[in-house]
Amino acid sequence: MFVRPALTARDRPCQCIGMRSATISARKMLGRKSVVVLPVHYPRELFTAMDVHTVELWGPPGPPRGPDAGRIQAYACAVVRNALAFLAAGGADAVDAALFPHTCDSIQGLATLAPDFGGWGKPALRYLHPKGGDGPAARAFVRAELVHLAGRLGELTGRPLEVPRLAAAIELHARIDRLRGALLSRRACLGMGDRALYRLLRRGEFLEPEDHLAELADAALGLGEERMQHGVPLMVSGYVPEPMTLFDVLASAGAFVVADDYAAVGRRVPPASLANDGDPIDTLAAKAFAMPPCPTRGGDQDARMEYLEFLYRRSGAAGLIVHVQKFCDPELFDVPAIRRRFARIGAPLLYLEGEMESSLSGRVITRLEAFVEMVDAGRKSP
Amino acid sequence: MIARRVRYEIVSRALGPMLMSMEGWRRRLQGRARGRPEGPFGPPLESTRKLKELTTLHYLAGRCADGAVPVAWVTSGFPVEMLRPLGFHTVYPENHGAICSVKRMVPGLSEAAEREGYSRDLCGYARADLGCVATGTTPVGRLPRPDLLCCCTNICQTVLYWYRALAAHFRVPLVVIDTPFVYGEARPHLLAYVSDQLRELTETAERVAGFKVDRAALAETMRLAREGTRLWGECLRAGRARPSPWTGFDSFFHLAPIVSMRGTRECNAYYHMLRDELNERIARGTGGIADERVRLLWDNLPIWFHLRDLSTVLARNGFNIVCTTYTNAWAEAGPMIDPADPEGSAARAYVHVLLNRDLPYRLSVLKQLCREYGAAGAIFHSDRSCKPYSIGQVDLKGRLASEEGVKGLLLEADHADPRAWSEAQAYNRLHAFMELFA
Repeated sequence: MFVRPALTARDRPCQCIGMRSATISARKMLGRKSVVVLPVHYPRELFTAMDVHTVELWGPPGPPRGPDAGRIQAYACAVVRNALAFLAAGGADAVDAALFPHTCDSIQGLATLAPDFGGWGKPALRYLHPKGGDGPAARAFVRAELVHLAGRLGELTGRPLEVPRLAAAIELHARIDRLRGALLSRRACLGMGDRALYRLLRRGEFLEPEDHLAELADAALGLGEERMQHGVPLMVSGYVPEPMTLFDVLASAGAFVVADDYAAVGRRVPPASLANDGDPIDTLAAKAFAMPPCPTRGGDQDARMEYLEFLYRRSGAAGLIVHVQKFCDPELFDVPAIRRRFARIGAPLLYLEGEMESSLSGRVITRLEAFVEMVDAGRKSP
Repeated sequence: MIARRVRYEIVSRALGPMLMSMEGWRRRLQGRARGRPEGPFGPPLESTRKLKELTTLHYLAGRCADGAVPVAWVTSGFPVEMLRPLGFHTVYPENHGAICSVKRMVPGLSEAAEREGYSRDLCGYARADLGCVATGTTPVGRLPRPDLLCCCTNICQTVLYWYRALAAHFRVPLVVIDTPFVYGEARPHLLAYVSDQLRELTETAERVAGFKVDRAALAETMRLAREGTRLWGECLRAGRARPSPWTGFDSFFHLAPIVSMRGTRECNAYYHMLRDELNERIARGTGGIADERVRLLWDNLPIWFHLRDLSTVLARNGFNIVCTTYTNAWAEAGPMIDPADPEGSAARAYVHVLLNRDLPYRLSVLKQLCREYGAAGAIFHSDRSCKPYSIGQVDLKGRLASEEGVKGLLLEADHADPRAWSEAQAYNRLHAFMELFA
């Protein structure tokens, strides 16, 4: 039986990994399969349908540890360097396979480096999502990739994909998505602090979907009609909210996150529910094209800027924090366009660059505090 | 439109060639007056003059291409054959970035891009190009405005993000040919995906050009492209001779036509000429460097801004780069092109390029090149600007040493931006590496 860790646990990196390990161990005891998943986008429904537990690997934060840390140059992003060091050090040995979605050149490189040259000796699964448009070729390709991945999961579990189970998994994840979407879009009406909210949302990276759903449903009970957050409302955009102490700093400076565009969080919540009445594979393929814009999937840059402005205005945010990982090409190439767009609408913007640190530096804390102060002053001035 | 077209045709067919031949005469006269250059190199390749003419003419014609003919900005790995029968003038921002780097203009252009908000950690070619777009500064006079942007992810995904930014700037259609990474062999649905995209590309390109593609002309372009890559491969294989009639650094420059003029008669005529000259040098025993003692392989892009100095240091010590994985990449997939099946065969060829394949494949190419060219050592340019090429090099270097006995050096630099180059540190490492062969 799965034991849900207490929400009050501090999520420092090692403890966060501990929670993930505990979840995997619980699965193992039941004789079920687990897969470690690299960022960002993948069809989780397929894994649920095949009764395969997924545990995401975002780093982990902190400096890369172990002798394999130097196998990737320091000018590749910390997410990839840390992941190689972690996998090679046996950090994910408890799982049965690893999934490498084709997020960027660096994860693509890791997807051959670790399995082929050492660092990952178990099955390596890949999920190649299209990077171009959303035309018929791309849609047919997603469908074929899903079928292929289902086949690989079938080899792992020893049983084929059952269509009714996939339909049920899609429905289960749709409920999760709806709740995640509600918590994020009605953030101001939720009494929970940012740190607790993000801890809850990020527990979806490793919890069983049913357990995550139950936690989300509990939290959603706290959504009211009245505004419960009264600080400086900010929007965040970036790759992954690490270190999570970012939210503590914002809270102590009197701000809260009212809109989210993190690749790890908000960009994985579809804006609208999808019909689930046809072929479940088609539904899943359609979902890939219905997600919020994310540069890791390509797509039109203007469309992304429109979306970000929409998110900003809808949420009533008073400023934007762009929080990217150093050396992260997909995010970095969009930064000038974000700057231009938000300058045009007169929105204050703070640019932060991280390297999956375990804690924020004093300099970054000061910048965050000064930014919140400036945004607050701007709101109060006529 | 008609006046512009006439001007474009006059510049590209009459005025340009005339200016080039006048410039050729001037250089020849200067060359006679100066005599043969001294130094650690062999006599310069005669074909280099023609290469300069071709490149200059291409950029000269480009100055008046917009409004005259459809203009496409294309990535180096893009299946440009699809555009040729539609009369596109093609501009290669990567090739332009290399010229900017050789001319030492990248820091200025990059700073302009950085002022726009682009990070210094991004690809040097992209920064140079975006800086050029922002300022209009270019060493080639002027780049024509694109009507279509074409990028293919077979060399990296950086081009996708870069071209998205260009599309937002120029407000023109962007065609992405997404070539999913190949582990082992490409699966059928992957090839079908790429060939379907090529058909979608044709529709978009036809809309921009304003007319339908002539399938016979497309087949002929494919035939020329296959022939061009074959000729380029023959030029590269001349490096197997001892001494090698040229250096790998020469081949970086002579790569330009197969990248930017692939599928044209001019390109093939050029490589006929270069191949014949290389074969003559082999027959005469003329080497790319005066005294070739150690033969090396180069992995990754060149360090454009420092190529001359680096090649001089190596040549002075009797080291010759006889093969490179980078230039080889434009010769390896050509035989897959089939004029009878343009989309299907282009999908196969463009998916199976070096940078779109897994590390075991890259290791096999390294081993094969070292064996065939007799390379005793390898310089791995760890390129800050090119993550897909650089990730895995630490392991590749180790495996090449342990499995083939080929000594390796990891040399950290950048293909375009000299600000990422630490000369003292690099030469320390290079000299220590050369001592291994003493």
